[in-house]
Amino acid sequence: MKPLKCSGLLLLGWLLVALGVSSPALAGERVITIAQYADAVSLDPQHTNDNASYSVEKPILEGLIGFNEKMEQIPQLAERWDASPDARVYTFYLRKGIKFHDGTPFNAAAVKANFDRVRNPENKLRRYTLYKVISQIDVIDEYTVRFTLAEPFGAMIATFAHPAGGINSPAAVQKYGQDYGKNPVGTGPYKFQEWVPNDHITLVRNPDYWDKANDAKVDKIIVKPVPEDGTRIAMLQKGDAQFINPVPYSMADVVSKDKNLSLAESESVYTFWVAMNTQKKPFSDVRVRQAMNYAINKEAIIKAVLRGHGKPADSPLAPRVWGYTPVKTYPYDPAKAKALLAEAGYPNGFKTLLRGVAQTDPKEVMVAIQGQLKQVGVDVEVAALPAAALSADRFKPLEENRGEMDYAGWSPSTGDADWGIRPLLTKDNWPPTNFTIGFYTNPKVEEHVRAALQTSDPAKRKAAYAEAQRVIVDDCPWVFLWVNYLLGGSRANVGGISIQPDGIGFYRSVYYK
Amino acid sequence: MLGYICRRLLYMTPILFGVSVVIFLLLHLVPGDPARLVAGIDATKEDVEIVRTSLGLDRPLPVQYVSWLGNVFRGDLGRSARTHRPVTHELRLTIPATVELTISAIAIAVLIGVAAGIVAAVRRNSAFDYSSMIVALLGVCTPSFWLGLMLMLLFAVKLDLLPTTGRGGWENLVLPAVTLGAGAAAIIARVTRSSMLEVLGTDYIRTAHAKGLSERAVVLRHAVKNALIPVITVIGLEFGYLLAGAVVTETVFAYPGVGRLLVEAIEFRDYPVIQGALLLLALQFALVNLVVDVLYACSDPRISYE
Repeated sequence: MKPLKCSGLLLLGWLLVALGVSSPALAGERVITIAQYADAVSLDPQHTNDNASYSVEKPILEGLIGFNEKMEQIPQLAERWDASPDARVYTFYLRKGIKFHDGTPFNAAAVKANFDRVRNPENKLRRYTLYKVISQIDVIDEYTVRFTLAEPFGAMIATFAHPAGGINSPAAVQKYGQDYGKNPVGTGPYKFQEWVPNDHITLVRNPDYWDKANDAKVDKIIVKPVPEDGTRIAMLQKGDAQFINPVPYSMADVVSKDKNLSLAESESVYTFWVAMNTQKKPFSDVRVRQAMNYAINKEAIIKAVLRGHGKPADSPLAPRVWGYTPVKTYPYDPAKAKALLAEAGYPNGFKTLLRGVAQTDPKEVMVAIQGQLKQVGVDVEVAALPAAALSADRFKPLEENRGEMDYAGWSPSTGDADWGIRPLLTKDNWPPTNFTIGFYTNPKVEEHVRAALQTSDPAKRKAAYAEAQRVIVDDCPWVFLWVNYLLGGSRANVGGISIQPDGIGFYRSVYYK
Repeated sequence: MLGYICRRLLYMTPILFGVSVVIFLLLHLVPGDPARLVAGIDATKEDVEIVRTSLGLDRPLPVQYVSWLGNVFRGDLGRSARTHRPVTHELRLTIPATVELTISAIAIAVLIGVAAGIVAAVRRNSAFDYSSMIVALLGVCTPSFWLGLMLMLLFAVKLDLLPTTGRGGWENLVLPAVTLGAGAAAIIARVTRSSMLEVLGTDYIRTAHAKGLSERAVVLRHAVKNALIPVITVIGLEFGYLLAGAVVTETVFAYPGVGRLLVEAIEFRDYPVIQGALLLLALQFALVNLVVDVLYACSDPRISYE
């Protein structure tokens, strides 16, 4: 009977271990638990490139400029700013009397130290290229700081508003060195308290927050990584979580029909599209690309896959991106698509490859596209690849790239038209450099994009991007699909919390009703 | 016996070395550029190259392997390419959680599986036999993500008896341990039953009955002990699988274990974490095998390793 005795001992050991680790909660504390799809990777904004991390950083760290929940720019640590007309010199006038969570004063020297750190290539920070255009930073006085750029860059204000522009305490950066990403110190309404990887991150209220109008309204925010969709819903239903990020489209009804829960829906800055390889036949012919736009029924896919939580795209940019202009939506017209294909010399269609990521929703979208293109004689092979393999495949240079059609989505994290067009639709950004995966180039687009960067005048920039969008929609390097809505779920007694249009959680204003 | 254990421990070194070479080669054969994945989708080529050099991925493969191996001997498994945390730190956080979960699961599986198997064998062709074997069949067939979610909906959401997720007190362990242990319990029950049936048909059991021993003494003292060898084998195997295979259960219950760590690392081609975690899992597997072999000798005096 030895083995049975052994398992008895194991069970006893298990009980002892398990009983020892219960954690008590303080009575009367207002605690919000958030279940989000992934754990943070780093909490150093200059070394962050994922939304799960930014979602946790945002209540801790603030930028010179920030975004509100609609992704409109708002002054944060800078009271105001001005830009030289040639888009090369930017001056910020800072708020006075603000202290970091560790007591370090916030001033021009702190701002300089932050941007000197990120733009130094030796620090090997993941957001280096975002700020490498800065060539000089001058402290004019304690609360005025001036940035000079190596070349004109009209999208610089938006780049300062990017979440990577969160200002860190220089003393804490010095103190923690390589481990700063585990010990962030900012000026925000919540202070970092604890991070148990893959388990939870705890933020606590900052009692000395400078902006009383936007003060923290709960004592503690606990963010837990919960990758399984169904589990997040169960946690919300039971009240183990007060907010979940995100709610998958297929389960939106479960949340919206439950009177104890409410669905937080926000229009995103993501556009979804199918890039066509414009350097290869048959997609080098604009008529074929137009035909694809007429052949796909966007409304039907939005209804079936997104359960209605989206709207057809009418530009390469989403409406909430700064510089967006509505151009047009290609209507669903298979007859016209067939005629265009015949005109281009493909009366019987052709065979092609559609690549995308092997996840539930993208796969459903690709299969729907496959079925619709079949109606106009185009025979699509769907290649649904795991993310790592897909990215390796996509980032091959033109000569080695087997890409023909690529289903993808993009959100410009600066909220500005520049980052919604330049990396996706210009020659300098062909793979392996960046994400122009359809190898598109058009001299007119290149010219407008360049012009918009040569000035800081918002009116001139908007006009240039409007022209660029018109050219792109006519030239259709993509099948323009849709702009989606992002869904978060909360308990009915909780408010002030949602998912920002760029997919980053907006947690800092959360309160109990 | 002690000499045998020492010898076996020594043999593990070449096994682990072989495992490390295979892991390393496989990792570099699968498509996926870790530098690009770490740098993110909107990274420029320059960003990607910065990441590549900082991870040391620009060096030739043999150099990368030898430098990694050298560090392993110094007890340094490197730092995660993504989170920058030392791999040993990541493992120290996750391994105890997974071991705790696996031991609980195997304990539940052994208690239920062995007991059900013995009773089913003794009451052969009874209602209990049929129903427990049908339940066991269902247990083997049920996917753990489904079972986990159903248990969570019933016991956490509807009945409000247990928490949905996370690691903490014993109450956090119940649902994931039952989910993880269900499949193993089913297999153990079936193996115990068939092994017991075989033993119950032997001459010495008839002799024991003839001696006038009570049914209880015959079953517990004579039959079970002799039926244990295949049961121990299957328990050992299941334990090894559970250690490495808790990933689905860990994901469903948002449990911070090594399975989840490993799957995320694979998704992002985080080589140092994958290599470190797999090496440790291989070591655990080898240790479990050793324990099983030692248990053979304990339960059957005819088995000797000297």
